[in-house]
Amino acid sequence: MRAFRWLGVFVVLGLTVVGLATWLTMGPAVPERDLAGLTGDFNRGAYVARLAGCIGCHTNTKAGGAVLAGGAEIATGFGSFYAPNITPHPEDGIGRWTLADFARALTAGESPDGQHYFPAFPYTFYSRMSDQDIVDLWTAVRSVPPAAGGPPDHGLRFPFGFHQGVGIWKRAFFDAMRLEDVAGQSSSWNRGRYLARGPGHCGACHTPRNVFGARQTDRRYAGGVGPGDEKIPAITPAALAAEGWTRDDLVFALRSGVLPDGDVFGGSMAEVVRESTRFWSDEDLAALVEYILNAEVEG
Amino acid sequence: MLCIALVTSVVVAHGGATGIVKKRMDFMESMGDAMKEVTAMMRGKQIYDAARLRKLAGTIGDHGGEALTKLFPEGSLDKPTEALPAIWTDWERFSALANRLSDYATALQAAADNERPASAAGTGGGMMQGSGAMMGGAMMGGDQAGPSIEHLSAMPPDAAYMHLAQVCAACHEDFRKEK
Repeated sequence: MRAFRWLGVFVVLGLTVVGLATWLTMGPAVPERDLAGLTGDFNRGAYVARLAGCIGCHTNTKAGGAVLAGGAEIATGFGSFYAPNITPHPEDGIGRWTLADFARALTAGESPDGQHYFPAFPYTFYSRMSDQDIVDLWTAVRSVPPAAGGPPDHGLRFPFGFHQGVGIWKRAFFDAMRLEDVAGQSSSWNRGRYLARGPGHCGACHTPRNVFGARQTDRRYAGGVGPGDEKIPAITPAALAAEGWTRDDLVFALRSGVLPDGDVFGGSMAEVVRESTRFWSDEDLAALVEYILNAEVEG
Repeated sequence: MLCIALVTSVVVAHGGATGIVKKRMDFMESMGDAMKEVTAMMRGKQIYDAARLRKLAGTIGDHGGEALTKLFPEGSLDKPTEALPAIWTDWERFSALANRLSDYATALQAAADNERPASAAGTGGGMMQGSGAMMGGAMMGGDQAGPSIEHLSAMPPDAAYMHLAQVCAACHEDFRKEK
């Protein structure tokens, strides 16, 4: 009898552990986007691709790679990440995906077969993108020529290579909240906030991360460590003021890469300007800078 | 007045650099000073003066090519250098960018008298590139095959300046450690 009782305890314990592990690794529930009735626009989508930096990470420009056919190595403390081929190639790209799959990847960080993406893919930001931006972006991504092949698989250090672990990470750190406009702020400030905290994903580099690689949102834009251990400067209003940055300086630097003293952005910010911000409209650059110079510190 | 301003801006210590490292930090500093004034003109913070622009672009051009690369003997990485070892593992690209710097500065000189866009905003944002370039990736990425000197020389000076700035950025992206 006693043996049976212990067996029962083990079974219950075992089931609890398995159940808990399953629940944890599933990650948080993220609602599906209702995109019915929306029509994608190629021109707007190509612009959204520049807002979101898709082309910068998913194209190995220096190696002469085809657009969106997969990116260069992103070296982090967890190992090497490679942004995959997202051209419409049926095997090597995302040619078999539906719009719903695409929206799920962007907003929930899940692949069509339910695997979790590593948060090096900034879905924690893209989850804030508007329905229309997602639909437009899908139209533009579908339009590029299919390219065969792609970069190598991620090369992550043990134990970070298990995508199930990302489910636990998401439970702890991924809050797939939409950004509602802040009342009492201008529409351009709110647009800037959407750009910075949504597609533009400024905080992916400029906000410091904890030991789990999650952003410390109470220290937003306080500076951090970027790919390849690059030191990333703070871009809080106070830090920018201390460096003497004005609104016009920032807009011009994001357009041209040139700083007021005649120097240029180097490192990964050079890539951001080259592949992203130099394509932004004057209105969007002005909105982004308006927000950054008057950004919320927390939240 | 201007001369005084220029001289004082050069006098910035380079944290105890000596030898070749100090020499090239000073070299970059003087190129940066020329770029600073060109930038002020492009931004409308200083009156546009084609003759002055040609002179400044000439100064920038003199800082490219071999004048620049000869200041980077292999392994010269003494503190407080910001140079990265990639310079010597990818010397071909490094020296190609150094040559392009001179070429594009020459093109900016040639473009100095060209008509300028009506608004300062016309300095080459997305709207000018067209949506094809938006998804263009490698075609626009800029460092494999940039526009020719002839092509740049026919552009508004503001556009030629943007291309020159991209050469500075391409080199600093790969070959300079960010502080």
